[in-house]
Amino acid sequence: MSLEAPEPSTHTDVGVTETGLDYDVLESLLGELVIDRETHHNAEAFVVRPDRVADALSVLREEAGFDHCSCVTAQQYEDRYESIYHLKKYDDPTQEVGVVVPTSIHEPKSQSGSGVYRTADWHEREAYDLVGIEYDDHPDLRRILLPETWQGHPLSQNYDQERQQVVPLTEHANPLEEDHRGGTDTMFINIGPHHPATHGVLHLKTTLNGEQVADVESDIGYLHRCEEQICQQGTYRHQIMPYPDRWDYISAGLLNEWAYARAAEDLADIDVPEYAQIIRTMSAELCRIASHLLALGTFAIDVYGDFSAIFMYAFRDREVVQNILEDLTGQRMMFNYFRLGGVAWDLPEPREKFFEKTRDFLDELPTRLEEYHNLVSGNEVLQLRCVDTGILEPEVAKQYGCTGPVARGSGVDYDLRRDDPYGYYDRLDWDVVTEDGCDNYSRVLVRLREVEESAKIIDQCVNLLEEWPEDDRTIQSNVPRTLKPDPDTEIYRAVEGAKGELGIYIRSDGTDTPARFKIRSPCFSNLQALPEMAEGEYVPDLVAALGSLDIVLGEVDR
Amino acid sequence: MSSHNQDTTGAQTTQEARMGEGVDNRFNSKLREAFGSSPFILTKFDSFMNWVRGSSMFMLQFGIACCSIEMMHTYAVKHDLDRFGSGVPRASPRQADVIIVPGTIVSKFAPRMKRVYDQMPEPKFVVSMGSCTCSGGPFQEGYNVIKGAEEVIPCDIHVPGCPPRPEALIYGIVKLQERIANGETAPVTVKPYELEQFGDLEEDELVQHLADQIDEEDLVMRYNWAESP
Amino acid sequence: MSIADTLGSALGLGSLGPLEDFLLSLVGAAFVGTFVLLNTAVAGPWAKRKITAAFTDRVAVNRVGPFGLLIIIADAVRMLSKELIIPDGADRPAFDLAPLVLVASALLGFAVVPMGNGIQLADPEVGLAFLFAVASIASIALVMAGYASNNKYSMLGGLRAVAQNVAYEIPLVVTAMSVVLFTGTLQTSQIVGAQAETLITIAGVSIPSWYAFVNPFAFVLFIVANMAEVGRNPFDVPEAPTEIVAGYQTEYSSVYFVLMYLGEFIHIFLGGAILATVFLGGPAGPVLPGFVWFTIKIWAFFLFTQWARSALPRVRIDQLIEIGWKGLLELSFVNLLLTAIIVGVIV
Repeated sequence: MSLEAPEPSTHTDVGVTETGLDYDVLESLLGELVIDRETHHNAEAFVVRPDRVADALSVLREEAGFDHCSCVTAQQYEDRYESIYHLKKYDDPTQEVGVVVPTSIHEPKSQSGSGVYRTADWHEREAYDLVGIEYDDHPDLRRILLPETWQGHPLSQNYDQERQQVVPLTEHANPLEEDHRGGTDTMFINIGPHHPATHGVLHLKTTLNGEQVADVESDIGYLHRCEEQICQQGTYRHQIMPYPDRWDYISAGLLNEWAYARAAEDLADIDVPEYAQIIRTMSAELCRIASHLLALGTFAIDVYGDFSAIFMYAFRDREVVQNILEDLTGQRMMFNYFRLGGVAWDLPEPREKFFEKTRDFLDELPTRLEEYHNLVSGNEVLQLRCVDTGILEPEVAKQYGCTGPVARGSGVDYDLRRDDPYGYYDRLDWDVVTEDGCDNYSRVLVRLREVEESAKIIDQCVNLLEEWPEDDRTIQSNVPRTLKPDPDTEIYRAVEGAKGELGIYIRSDGTDTPARFKIRSPCFSNLQALPEMAEGEYVPDLVAALGSLDIVLGEVDR
Repeated sequence: MSSHNQDTTGAQTTQEARMGEGVDNRFNSKLREAFGSSPFILTKFDSFMNWVRGSSMFMLQFGIACCSIEMMHTYAVKHDLDRFGSGVPRASPRQADVIIVPGTIVSKFAPRMKRVYDQMPEPKFVVSMGSCTCSGGPFQEGYNVIKGAEEVIPCDIHVPGCPPRPEALIYGIVKLQERIANGETAPVTVKPYELEQFGDLEEDELVQHLADQIDEEDLVMRYNWAESP
Repeated sequence: MSIADTLGSALGLGSLGPLEDFLLSLVGAAFVGTFVLLNTAVAGPWAKRKITAAFTDRVAVNRVGPFGLLIIIADAVRMLSKELIIPDGADRPAFDLAPLVLVASALLGFAVVPMGNGIQLADPEVGLAFLFAVASIASIALVMAGYASNNKYSMLGGLRAVAQNVAYEIPLVVTAMSVVLFTGTLQTSQIVGAQAETLITIAGVSIPSWYAFVNPFAFVLFIVANMAEVGRNPFDVPEAPTEIVAGYQTEYSSVYFVLMYLGEFIHIFLGGAILATVFLGGPAGPVLPGFVWFTIKIWAFFLFTQWARSALPRVRIDQLIEIGWKGLLELSFVNLLLTAIIVGVIV
């Protein structure tokens, strides 16, 4: 899987005007490829014939500079199937465009976009798996989340959930017998789904050449909990909000809730009071700290072995964050604290005590970080292990749609908090952290430094909240009891989750539940880049690279 | 492995099948069979063994979903499960006594989990952690979700919660230790989902359809979603 | 003075006949073996947890007995009473023998270690060579375990163990040779004896000529090689729980696992004993009897390994081999050469 360096796109500003994108210019660029236009809430979308998808995508990528395919959504209507490619620019994610590909209900065949965007590979496999659209010239169109032998496509209409299923467990030959892949003297080894280094239930089909990784293929779906189906069954106002907590369950719950809140609020045109925005910003950053600390702790397990001091220290500090969040939300992990149009309740009384507790944590943090830097980033053995291993070049990272600390560790300066501002971020003083190392070490370092930035944000929020006038503490705006967005409105909105761009696509059909609810998980895209990082490296580096990707299987599989 | 592989098909419902046949014989030594039921030394020996098993246990390092984060918290600094002599996670199932099942089990994972459970040496115990392992929890309606760990492996203790706090997990484990020390165990229940060889499955449309995809000797787990509680 | 003589004089026997010598040696061996096993029993289930807990702000076992000490009994009995699983397709004699060889090789090493107050089972002229020879049998046990388990992770672990031991055995022995250059003998009792002299007296405190003080460079080299030899962090690649599950011991359960576990700990203590004998004056030390000092020294090494375990990342297998062959080996030869020159000029 070598990757020839893609031509640097020179026309990144096609159709870019002062006020935003001029879609007419883009349409004329695409010319006859466009057969229709749709208006989504976030951007215009061009409808393209199913056999011209690759052409349209490559024009948009090469000539208009849309280098980030953030998501591929597939869905079934009464009369047709549809895939939507949500395209963005890494330089400016507010410039978005959709490519809508309708296919017939009887023969859902569509051209694959995986030749243009490498990341489309897995997204299309997922679309095939769950909805049932087939992609022509897809390199490897197999089921990705469900077992190979599954019957039916669960998110398509008329799927029978009561149907019996048979799931095989293939045993692999032991090492002393023949179990070679590719006929050479390599050894095939299953890492996972139960393995101490896979951070959950990931299965890596690894081919080893001695100690070196010749080939690695991730097999996911061991935690596919039907999150999309469940969200499609829930009502907008209350029944969906508890679930985002469980996508990225590493205490990053509020960041996920924000992703849903942002999409649904934009869809139904709900305002959020400023006071609630500040609370959201503060609590979300607390979650980010907790999440990054866990990433550090588990990375330490991967590289240090068993339950080392760093792991324990990271958990010690996480306990503090979780206590603060528990004071605020009433739960340690599954907060369910955001509401559409605000948050569930105000800061806990007495407020001074809450502020004091948060400040104590922030005051302690620099010392703690110093300790981590001494133990981790300053440790020579760790540097020996992690510098220049698991290389992910920025161009490759973009191809795979990597976002978050993984992309920022490769020098891709992409952070939705700054580039596509929401909440209170644009009025606070903080920096986006990037590192140019592209290696395991950079990714860990980015997370450590982001903790500092988050602390800065929290500090400013606490100050703001403390001085906020008492009669202006509105925590929720007025939201109709039963929320029914206009029929056939579509939106794709993303926030910067703990692991990267966490996007939600919602299509409403006029009822109080979404007709299609699609989650764009950052881990899903990030994990896809693992082979690029690990092939040719040693087994320990594979494990370290996986650790530095910081995946959460709940979010990968959803 | 288990001698309780009862057939769940036929007139017996899942519910009835799960009642099981009472206490299992995991604690009964060969000596006890030879000497009869109540010689003094053997009784003392038995209670000593129960104390031993209840006082110290190796956990399997096993994480599935959300609950595994709280499980890690339970092992780590503040809650420190090791105080109770049960905070040593072993990576290999061969060396573990207790498997904490922390999270949602889905169709693709259930056979693997069953496998891991089978690889553990007797006597072994299962703590099912979180609502998902009790019943499928918040994901119960999912097309892919097993409605509880008990469908696949026998559980000794259920710790409800989503996720349970570390204190709750500690309470569950201490309860398990107490029960083991008192010589009580959960009845070995009959599980609706077992690993079988594909060739042994009852022939029907689905099996015929899959015949060219799955090898006769491959192990499979067959899910009957309609009958799930 | 061997342990048989010590026992003989303690019992008031005169010169010993061959039969008496044999019987008393047997008693002595039982004593040494029990002592070593007692140490590992305390270390394995209890001290290791407590030490790690101290490093990581925890408490660890405190419910069973005073300070949780009864966990030792509970742990040992529980593991011994578990079901013994022999995997399908395991290479039977090798699979069964590996744990025994591991434990036996480590225990044998203690036969020639002087533990103070005349407690030394045997004192052959080639004591040090015997010590290293026996200690390195362990790597055979590991490769046996790895190969015979019929498991890919075990296989990787076994291969790693061999690569590692071969790479670090040589620097270990060569560094020890530099001490032998000073003493001119391989006999362990004489190596210890040579370190009893006073090196220098500072303000009335006389510092003995332990080779750790005489040649600190060699001491550091030896510690590093020794850490790798006993397979502890940062050199615990053969086990590497997060990479290859549990390495060579992945498939071992019950009694065999206890033996494996025991063997590892005995090896750490043997590593400590070698270190004490060659560099730290063996059982020598002020005030307390030699035997106590010897125990303190091997526990100090144990503590050191546990400290490294909590604080240091493990190196990658290729880096490990590189450090071994390209770094330690060269340094140990340089050390040997310099020591030879110095000894040749001065003595």
